[in-house]
Amino acid sequence: MASEVNTNFLTDKRLDRIAADVLRPVGVDRNFIIWMTSLTALLFVCMYAYYIQLDKGLIVTGLRDYVSWGMYISNFVFFVATSLVGMLISSVLGMMGYKWVKPIGRIAEIIAVAFSAIAGLVIVSDMGRPERLPYVFMYGRIQSPILWDVTVVTTYMTLSVLLYLFTMIPDMAISKGRIGHTPVWLQKTYELLSFNFQHKPEQYKILLKAVRILLILIVPTAFAIHTVTSWLFAVTTRPGWDSTIFGPYFLSGAFVAGCAAVIILMFFVRNNYKLSRYITQEHFDKMGKLLFLVSIVYFYFNLNEYLVPAYKAKTFEAHHLHELFAGEFAFMFWSVQLLGLIIPMILLLFKQMRKPFPMVIIAIVVLIASWFKRLLIVVPTMEAPFLPKQYVPDAWMVYHPTVIETAITVGTLTLAVMIISVLMKLFPVIPIWEIAEEESAHPDQQPVE
Amino acid sequence: MLIRLTLFCSLIMVASLVSGQTPWVVPSDWNAKLSRTSFTDQNRKTGGELYLTNCKSCHGDPGKNNVILLVPPPPDPSSVQMQQNSDGALHYKISEGRVTMPSFKNIVNSADIWNIIAYLRSFNKEYIQQTAPKPQFAGESFDKVNLELFWDAPNKRVVAWLTGVQGSVTKPIPSMELKLFAKRYFGNLMIGKPVETNEEGKASFLFPENLPGDSTGMVTLVAQLTNEEIFGLVKAESPMAIGVASNRPPLNEPRALWNVGLKTPVWLLFTYLTVVLGVWGSIFFVMLQLRTIFKIGQ
Repeated sequence: MASEVNTNFLTDKRLDRIAADVLRPVGVDRNFIIWMTSLTALLFVCMYAYYIQLDKGLIVTGLRDYVSWGMYISNFVFFVATSLVGMLISSVLGMMGYKWVKPIGRIAEIIAVAFSAIAGLVIVSDMGRPERLPYVFMYGRIQSPILWDVTVVTTYMTLSVLLYLFTMIPDMAISKGRIGHTPVWLQKTYELLSFNFQHKPEQYKILLKAVRILLILIVPTAFAIHTVTSWLFAVTTRPGWDSTIFGPYFLSGAFVAGCAAVIILMFFVRNNYKLSRYITQEHFDKMGKLLFLVSIVYFYFNLNEYLVPAYKAKTFEAHHLHELFAGEFAFMFWSVQLLGLIIPMILLLFKQMRKPFPMVIIAIVVLIASWFKRLLIVVPTMEAPFLPKQYVPDAWMVYHPTVIETAITVGTLTLAVMIISVLMKLFPVIPIWEIAEEESAHPDQQPVE
Repeated sequence: MLIRLTLFCSLIMVASLVSGQTPWVVPSDWNAKLSRTSFTDQNRKTGGELYLTNCKSCHGDPGKNNVILLVPPPPDPSSVQMQQNSDGALHYKISEGRVTMPSFKNIVNSADIWNIIAYLRSFNKEYIQQTAPKPQFAGESFDKVNLELFWDAPNKRVVAWLTGVQGSVTKPIPSMELKLFAKRYFGNLMIGKPVETNEEGKASFLFPENLPGDSTGMVTLVAQLTNEEIFGLVKAESPMAIGVASNRPPLNEPRALWNVGLKTPVWLLFTYLTVVLGVWGSIFFVMLQLRTIFKIGQ
């Protein structure tokens, strides 16, 4: 991000066109109401499932003595992982001066805000007595990675919200006179969120300074959020978790899931909001290359994570790996590794596959696989404790998620989609001022749609 | 003819192996074994609780025939197949196990196996219990066997005194081997070698001078009869202030990762607070900028 803003773009006619394009889909239309109503209905069904869990306790889930972290904690890791892409795109690539990320930076931020907010909620779904949540703060031990996790998730969410908010202030100022077609309350919200921004150079100076601080802070926080999440597992000696590379392994996996999520939203914005002028073929090509890069890093960590213990085959590790490679979890394991990592990597090498449509298919498969990948990290280890499993009913020995548990998990995903929908539909999804400034500075460059 | 006979025999063997119906041979001494005490309601109650945790998952609820599907099927406790066993045979089978029936000798102690048998027999109305004769030793039988522990301070020895009660008469029991243990955190530590009781029924153990006790030097000593066959389990337990007082600071005293929140290691507290205050300080600074932006615009 530049340290100064050339405010010439404000008088440039291109601004009107860009603002008109970006603000056209903004507002409450029929499709949006139908979409949100269906999501709300689904959410209510899932909330009823949660009511049952609150009433009867965790016995309604498949969680028992051995597998006490099942779908919920896998889901938590998935949410934390996916939210990390906000840092990668806005912060790392943005600060390195890659201008092509400007139109998709806000999409990445929306994912960061929605997914980090829901991550905290998912943890509560795994609690048998959620009303005791304040105890974490009242009696928490600083020695426990769980307290660190609560700290960094809260911090990352705050930073993501602030980054989303700050970069949108000039857009709110630009847009507030141009959204006559939207409800009054939305116009008032824009007015409020513009913070009296009048594009004064002093205001831009302060804004850029604040954004710079946020961009710098968010890098170590994002590293911390997922490294600490990995430590929840890696600080134990259990097979499959007792690993020194768990931090980078989780981080690299997070970027794979996050890039896939960004590509899916990019495709949606490009096609449904008719913004192909701003999110171009080139963006998909570049995101495809980025996804390939993070995938090959993740592949490298997977190789280390599985090959090294498999070569040594220590008793418990050997049993664990056997379950993954050829046992109970083999089908899921190989599906995830092939469909979620190896095949996408091969496909992304071809230019034809980095076009919007093939890319979104690849991204959907990768995102689904990355959800199951988290399940494979959590469940097989919990099913194989060091001490023999005895004196419990047979049904407790193996983890079978129940319908209620699945419904609650679907509920958290629904909630994330709802937040994303609201942010994408009611606010400019592409930073108008940044694009206008860019186009004003380089008027000769025309995007290839 | 011989071939046919061989074939027939092997067929029967295979069939019986497949159905798992090979007879379960109990050694004759075990078959004849009896409980030394009459089964009481308390025995049956304890046995019932043990049955619930250890046996029910396969043998089901007695009388309901809701046993688990295994080959061979585990019999229902009220069935003839179960009840035709002698008390000793049941004890042997529970202790040793076979195929799908696990061995319980390391999980449930001998007295508790008798309790389980007491419970099992409560589902057999025709059962009349026979008890083993009272403990006999060298032609004498005792109503009760006592074991007591003393500290022989001048000789620095622990003395265990074994006596038998016969009506109102108490007699020493000689020539019985005793073992002495000191109770430790994880299990018992044997002190010296096993010693036989003398004519007075006493066995004396040389006690080491450097054995650590608790903060006041207390050591809990346990003496036990090696042979449980004659009198059953005879055991005495007594705390004595004969160890070396050890005033080690408890493990939860220093600041450590495993300690409570108030005893966080300083380096961790410092790191955590510095990072959290630094980051959140910056966040509040950034939030304040919103106010400045707002003011400039007015």
